[in-house]
Amino acid sequence: MISLDRASLRYGPILGLSPTTFELPDGGGITGLLGPNGAGKSSLLQLLSGLLPPSGGEVRIFGEAPFRNPAVLARLGLVPEGDRLPTGLRADRWLRMMGELSGLSGEALQAAVALALQTVGMADRAHLTFARMSKGMRQRIRLAQALLHGPELLILDEPFNGLDPEARLTLMALLRDLAEKGTRILVSSHILGEIAQLTDRILLLFRGRLLAEGTVTEIRQLLDRHPVELRLTGEAQALARWAVEQPELAALRMEEDAVVISVRSPRDILPRLQKTAAEGGIPLRALDPLDLNLDAVFQYLTKDHA
Amino acid sequence: MNAAPTPLATLRATARGYAPRVLQGRGWVLAGLVLVPVALSLLIFTLIRLKGGEASSTEAVKVFHEVLVKMMLPIMALVAAPAGIREDLEQRTLPLLLVRPAPAWALPLGKGLPWFAWGALWLVVGVLGLQVLGGDPSLLPGRLVALVGAWWGELALMTLVGLLFKRGTLWGALYFFIWEPLVRIFPPALQRLTFTHHIESLAGSRAAEVGTSQLLAQEQVSTHPGLALLALLLFGAACWALAGWKLQRTPVGLAGSEGEG
Repeated sequence: MISLDRASLRYGPILGLSPTTFELPDGGGITGLLGPNGAGKSSLLQLLSGLLPPSGGEVRIFGEAPFRNPAVLARLGLVPEGDRLPTGLRADRWLRMMGELSGLSGEALQAAVALALQTVGMADRAHLTFARMSKGMRQRIRLAQALLHGPELLILDEPFNGLDPEARLTLMALLRDLAEKGTRILVSSHILGEIAQLTDRILLLFRGRLLAEGTVTEIRQLLDRHPVELRLTGEAQALARWAVEQPELAALRMEEDAVVISVRSPRDILPRLQKTAAEGGIPLRALDPLDLNLDAVFQYLTKDHA
Repeated sequence: MNAAPTPLATLRATARGYAPRVLQGRGWVLAGLVLVPVALSLLIFTLIRLKGGEASSTEAVKVFHEVLVKMMLPIMALVAAPAGIREDLEQRTLPLLLVRPAPAWALPLGKGLPWFAWGALWLVVGVLGLQVLGGDPSLLPGRLVALVGAWWGELALMTLVGLLFKRGTLWGALYFFIWEPLVRIFPPALQRLTFTHHIESLAGSRAAEVGTSQLLAQEQVSTHPGLALLALLLFGAACWALAGWKLQRTPVGLAGSEGEG
């Protein structure tokens, strides 16, 4: 479905995206595009959505170059970043126009607008102008315009920005539902927790380079050389005695009622730790991985390339 | 998968979609630019007549050429064109249109059509209002066609300039208010490169004849009204086409800046 072969993007002398190669297969599913601000996420999404042609290399969506290509554009939907909508227009009329620009007409257009509005929960407020809508409502309308024509590929650039927690959860549920129905979704964010809640498959970008690609677990496997911190709560002295005998130990810190250990290859030490605790070999009451989340993954990888 | 819309469907969709914009503030400014000078003229002429004075029909010709043609029409183009496709570029809403399978080259004209229709409506009303002041009724169709034809060309020119240059309004203002008056001192053939010349040819009247006091002025040339109308329509069509070509070829990203000239 998506294929990049050493595709790069320059803004004059500035490199927005280094030559990047990856492929996403056909079929539904959600892929997260992660990276801090300025990592090149929007550049990549602009290449994929056909807004900009690559400065070098090749971008193929559904087997064709997407830039100003109606055959590709008819099959994808884009929700750009930000809160930008045309001034002075009513949402329902604007959606009708966007539907017509996607090749819909007549009853199919009416049905598509109604379904898109219903999907994003805006059916009863679509008569409002954009100026009279809250940010969350406008974001839903922006999503509706991308869903109108039933795209096979949906691209969302930082869609959770500015949404309240309830709206985020609603949007996540909607995206999961669309993915289950066969839509391939590419969603960018600089907040790792958002993506972690949504999908396991990620592309990690940093300074215009694709650092890693795969599931969180696969990427985590790349990090075995980095120590991971675990807090072992229980009788600290006994826990520390057990820990110093482990070959994976990199560092140890005592706390009042716990010991914090830094270990390499957590996948090796964790089963041993759990087994020993279960057999009563160590007085362990709780185990808290301090940095096994996506933020740690992200920081490790980006630190390596900084 | 839906078939991509035809250029005609794209024009119809954008024109209808953006039509409500002309009924907002900028649209009423456009109407006011025509109606206020015409209404003021009518008021002044009515007061003169009430006081027993005689209002000459040549005054209507002066208001038409000096106020509507030379001032209000260019200002209308300078006001309306930025609300066309340029507005989407500046507000960064253009990507929402460009990711559609519709032909991008049709968007400038599609978005400009409501403004053209709205401006043309008020120009017709304005010219009809001026007719109340007096004047040869046989010249009325020529004046109507001249103003509407020039409006078509000037709006198209400003739309194109707005896509080509970041400060399109400035360049447009320089063209309308420097080049058009200044051309009278250049070789006569250059007069054909002004809207004023074609409007005067169509309307069958001039703001003023060249007098002996205008030492630098060149002889005024004439163009057949039919050719003048054709020139205005073709020039406008060429500008819309160039604006479409510019948009079709220029990558416009989410930041919008790539579209700048």
